[in-house]
Amino acid sequence: MSLLQEEREIILSNEYVEHFDFAEVEEFIKNASKDLFISHNFRTKNKMLVQPRGGFPTYNKMYALYEFFVNANVDVLPCTIDSNTRLNDYATSKKMLRLSEESEVDMLNGYPLVNHGYRTTRKMITHFNKPVSLRHGTPDARLLIETAIASGIFEIEGGPITYLLPYSKNFPLDKAFLYWKYVERVCAKYSTLNEPINRESFGPLTATLVPPCITIVIQLLEMLLSLEEGVKSFSVSFSQSGSVNQDIVTGAVIRKLAKHYANEIGCGDAEIHLVYHQWMGAFPMDQNFSSQLISLSTAIAAMVGADKIITKTKQEASGIPTKEANAETVANTQYLLRILNGLPNVVDVEEEENLTLEVKAIMEAIFNDSADTLWRKAFNSIKNGIIDVPFSPHIINHNEMITIRDVNKNIRIMKRGNVPIPDKCFEYEKSKCDLKKDTTSIVNDIIHDIGIMQ
Amino acid sequence: MSQLNNKLLIDVGSTYFKVSSSKGVEQHFRDFNKDIYDDLTYKCGDTIKTYEKENVYICSSANGGLSTLIIGVTNSFSLKYATNIAFNSGINIIDTVLYQDIETSSIPSDLIDVVIVVGGIDSVSNIFGKELFSYLEKITYSNIVYVGSSKDSETLQKNIENLVILPNVIDDKLHIVEEHLKEYLTNLYQADIMGKEDIKNLYEITSNQIYSTPYIVNKTLPFITTKFSVVDPYILIDIGGATTDIHYSKDLVDDNLVTTNEYDRLVFKKLGVFKSKESLIFSAKNNEFVYELLSHLKVTENIFEEQSEKALRILMQLAIFLVLCKVSHYRKAYVNLKLLSLNSLVLTGGITKVLSQEEIEDIISFFYKKILNSNHNPSVVMDSNYDIWTLGLTQK
Repeated sequence: MSLLQEEREIILSNEYVEHFDFAEVEEFIKNASKDLFISHNFRTKNKMLVQPRGGFPTYNKMYALYEFFVNANVDVLPCTIDSNTRLNDYATSKKMLRLSEESEVDMLNGYPLVNHGYRTTRKMITHFNKPVSLRHGTPDARLLIETAIASGIFEIEGGPITYLLPYSKNFPLDKAFLYWKYVERVCAKYSTLNEPINRESFGPLTATLVPPCITIVIQLLEMLLSLEEGVKSFSVSFSQSGSVNQDIVTGAVIRKLAKHYANEIGCGDAEIHLVYHQWMGAFPMDQNFSSQLISLSTAIAAMVGADKIITKTKQEASGIPTKEANAETVANTQYLLRILNGLPNVVDVEEEENLTLEVKAIMEAIFNDSADTLWRKAFNSIKNGIIDVPFSPHIINHNEMITIRDVNKNIRIMKRGNVPIPDKCFEYEKSKCDLKKDTTSIVNDIIHDIGIMQ
Repeated sequence: MSQLNNKLLIDVGSTYFKVSSSKGVEQHFRDFNKDIYDDLTYKCGDTIKTYEKENVYICSSANGGLSTLIIGVTNSFSLKYATNIAFNSGINIIDTVLYQDIETSSIPSDLIDVVIVVGGIDSVSNIFGKELFSYLEKITYSNIVYVGSSKDSETLQKNIENLVILPNVIDDKLHIVEEHLKEYLTNLYQADIMGKEDIKNLYEITSNQIYSTPYIVNKTLPFITTKFSVVDPYILIDIGGATTDIHYSKDLVDDNLVTTNEYDRLVFKKLGVFKSKESLIFSAKNNEFVYELLSHLKVTENIFEEQSEKALRILMQLAIFLVLCKVSHYRKAYVNLKLLSLNSLVLTGGITKVLSQEEIEDIISFFYKKILNSNHNPSVVMDSNYDIWTLGLTQK
């Protein structure tokens, strides 16, 4: 038996997991409907796929949510996992699931997939016969991913950096890399049976003043780590930044460099897709404004040429959106995409060149790290501040980089910390900012920016 | 194993010593009437003679390590940081004192090998005052080191004789800076064993530094998967004659510190089955589940009085149970491990020579059921051939 298989058996022997039949799971994947694979949908549907967010604790509510979404013409169904499962606390999620079932009050903020088990969940997934995307935020997602794929969920979001730095304070980063390596291997293994399992990185990060170069570098690294384990379908992503022009530039650069670096490691045969997230920052309390913001996101996604858009709802500022609100936003996004024709192809050569130089310089510094594996190079680069994510709560993150918006709402780097932004690019970044202001005003601007769309 | 072929590895434990050569691992029960060097050369002289001094590597836990008292300012930073560094350096902590409670803290009667004083970041001053000096006057210690705010260094230097000052273990971002203190403690351990006559003699056969065994085991952990099917997160329990050590993956705790090491260590100085047998029995008698455990094992408490192989097996099973209790949420300790997330449990040390895999699994299953109300069963891995220790010694 291979080491990976031995490891899988130990992980799946967890007491909260129903008996796991590997042969039966393989057989299921081999014969699964191609419609369940987002990789197949990317290839065959000649449109931008629309995917909402959402997850409820009980099977019945999850089923009802999917019914709503299907009626709203959703392309990709979401499966958002509850936060206890995200922390590998299956005992609490089990207890809360029982309470939710008994009281009809939702005691969890998502679907406890491990507790429901793959046999039950699979019934629902195969019934709707649409691709499902797993959204979670778990640093150690080994058990969760095994259960998801066995259930028929063939689109796995996350990664060792993007699911750690924005979400966790002190989960060991080196462990996260190794646990995600396991996930990639399992996805790669199953990908040989039918259509490829798609892996999707989580580009929004902290969704607060993250400069495009940092987003892109992290996307590229997670893509490379995934491809080097044998994954054949990968989605890089980013979220609406607040500047239309900067989003268009980011989309162009990330697309170009993803292909470039995939070729560099001999994985040019992998399919790379682009996913765009509607606004991930604080939403306005006024629901009309929220609707405008969401519509603008959809227009940008069309200009960027995204393969998939992940939606938000106008209720975002006031709590967990209802299934009705989620369905409404899907229908609206689909409508807007249908009527968005003949958008101009905006190109900003100067900005693209600057961003490309920044990304390449950071990637070069990472590759030059003396470690013998890419994951360890990435680990060292985060530890020594070559990669620095603004507003990350994780204690390993340097938090030396300071960013601010310029007059056109572009996110600019004001202080680079240890991030090796070339001098020429850094001067360009600073030339766009009003640095004559006093420190208090700059700090106030940054604080205000957290609520920029208010 | 090719890298081991030209090296001789020796671990001097409080009960056994183990010698690993190209022929495999041999182990011998120590003869306490003899000097370690004499005992070792009497039993393995022929093997030792065939190796050059620079190819002989020795580690030892024979004297139980150094005893440490830590005085710190906060539980979540200074005390926690210094405790973590001390544990991972192979040092045994006898007590920690929160500075604000120093006037009401009990005075340890034992001789303390090293006192660590820590607190504050470098921009903070006037943390320590006369309360510290009068407390230190009342205790007996051999070494004292200060690793707190640099602004207080001068005052402490003036008032404390033989104070060693090292860089602060807390940086301005409240991150841990472990290397200086770790190096100091490791060297102190080295000096300590140099000073112990029978260990000192071991330098007759090696020209390499003699390290503490827990330090070496800790070094091994990142490489453990090269030898065993171990699935992270895991814990490693080393049950020896005098102490019981736990090395654990840091993702089993909520409040990880950012260090260069992926694993942390805890030591239970009085949970050994030979030298600290009495305190093990004392701890057992104070555990409300132990009589149920004894009945599960089909023995009575009379077993504590027995001197038999069966009694030894029971004591070892008790040691596993007690050590798991001590790191579980059943007890409020320095650290509580998330044992329900555990995938593998590795056992090393003398215990693997006495208990079978089934006996160990039985105890672990009893623990999970009784203490954690769970049917969880982490996989048990036995390091019967001391591979972990030999792997660690060659990483050094």
